[in-house]
Amino acid sequence: MNTPSEVAVTGLGVVAPHGDHPDTLFEALLQGRSAIAPVFPELPKPAAAATVAFDESRWFTKLQLAGVDRVSQLAVAAADLAMRDAGIPALADSGLDAQRVGVYGGCGMGGAAALEAAYRGNGRVSPLTIPAFMPNAPAAHVSMRQGVQGPVLTYSVACASSSVAIAEAAKAIQRGEVDLAIAGGSEALIVPGVVLAWQAMMTLAGFQPGEAARAVRPFAADRSGFALGEGAAFVVLESAERARRRGARIHALLAGWGLSSDATHLTKPDAPGQARALRSALRQAGLAPRDVGYCNAHGTATRIGDAVERNALAAVWGDDLDGLRTSSTKALHGHLLGGAGALEAVITILALRERRLPPNVNGGQADPDCALNLVAAGDADAPALEAAISNSFAFGGTNSVLLFRRA
Amino acid sequence: MSSLKELQDLIQEKYGIEPSTLDPHASMREKGGLDSLALAEFLFAIEDHFGITMPDEDANIDTLAELAVLVDKVRAAKPA
Repeated sequence: MNTPSEVAVTGLGVVAPHGDHPDTLFEALLQGRSAIAPVFPELPKPAAAATVAFDESRWFTKLQLAGVDRVSQLAVAAADLAMRDAGIPALADSGLDAQRVGVYGGCGMGGAAALEAAYRGNGRVSPLTIPAFMPNAPAAHVSMRQGVQGPVLTYSVACASSSVAIAEAAKAIQRGEVDLAIAGGSEALIVPGVVLAWQAMMTLAGFQPGEAARAVRPFAADRSGFALGEGAAFVVLESAERARRRGARIHALLAGWGLSSDATHLTKPDAPGQARALRSALRQAGLAPRDVGYCNAHGTATRIGDAVERNALAAVWGDDLDGLRTSSTKALHGHLLGGAGALEAVITILALRERRLPPNVNGGQADPDCALNLVAAGDADAPALEAAISNSFAFGGTNSVLLFRRA
Repeated sequence: MSSLKELQDLIQEKYGIEPSTLDPHASMREKGGLDSLALAEFLFAIEDHFGITMPDEDANIDTLAELAVLVDKVRAAKPA
């Protein structure tokens, strides 16, 4: 039997609150620069979010924008940047068989702006509302833009959507179903109706006037929730053998992934469920907990979420927990929900490649229930880092862990 | 009264198509690059712009000139 092929990450593309270049994004995170700012002053309660300064004219003519929601625009841009980064600016000229290329996209909600416009139109509803908001539109638009003719799939698994999408893409590469996968996700739901819905759920961080940028405090004693973010991130995956053959730059290897379900509660996280996903990722990668030096935590900064994630990490890492340096970058880029797993995967890959870790900010007051080796600002260097994980734990109980190794 | 000029302005504003590049008698689908989705959205924009309701049989309209004739008809029938 052949050993399963190693899965290489050869392209990174982001359209994020910190910009549309992975290096710029990473530098901003290392400096602890928050992209979270107040939004919608007209709402009854103060709201903050991390939004993307996106110039759609770079990617679309006005005619091409007909019926294309922002969530799909961001996806098309990020996937295109990932393919360019992989050295494949045009699939048709690449020698790849378009039928053996796939798109694996994560999206939690779909075109929120299109839905919001329909609700607020006083009965006037755009005839393109449906194709604009359907959750598989982002992946479909990526496939049309790139000319991808293989599987084009959408995973809607709440906050784990795009992490699951990347795991599924890696499986397809490993099984030889596709030669190349464009995998990631997109979310764009910073519209008043959706922000009100999240506020009603009491999961968003409260903040005093002028303090929005520091509102999200993962693992801190005074944490009070997250801020919404928008954006898209995609990676290009292929077998390491194929990548080496074509001389592609390998950012990292996707060495393991773990998927599990809590099967306990729709929204309350469960440490044993998360631990199953963590163990599964380690097992697949053939690594022991002590081999992993960095965790980009799910870290939503909710009261319960952070403590449960700490317990899951402690259950698996045991005495080696102190060797696992951890940060939640959601304090800086917000929670991208369906796009979070992919954006944080890119950040984890960059941390591994650069051997520098983004800080866990705003954690001034430590919480004994969240005792972790949190990455302090200004303490980025990780010269011996060989492997890192990115956690995504979703409403619905699905847990997804991606484990990357240095190439 | 012809609505053609206003339609040309609208299609330019909405889709960036210059009046000089789209012959009013040419197919909007073939020459203008408007697919069925873009056309449906354009008709919606026309309704908003003129404050009218386009009849359902407009699906066969293929040129700006034909569209202008129909819009003229609907506008003329609109109660003052």
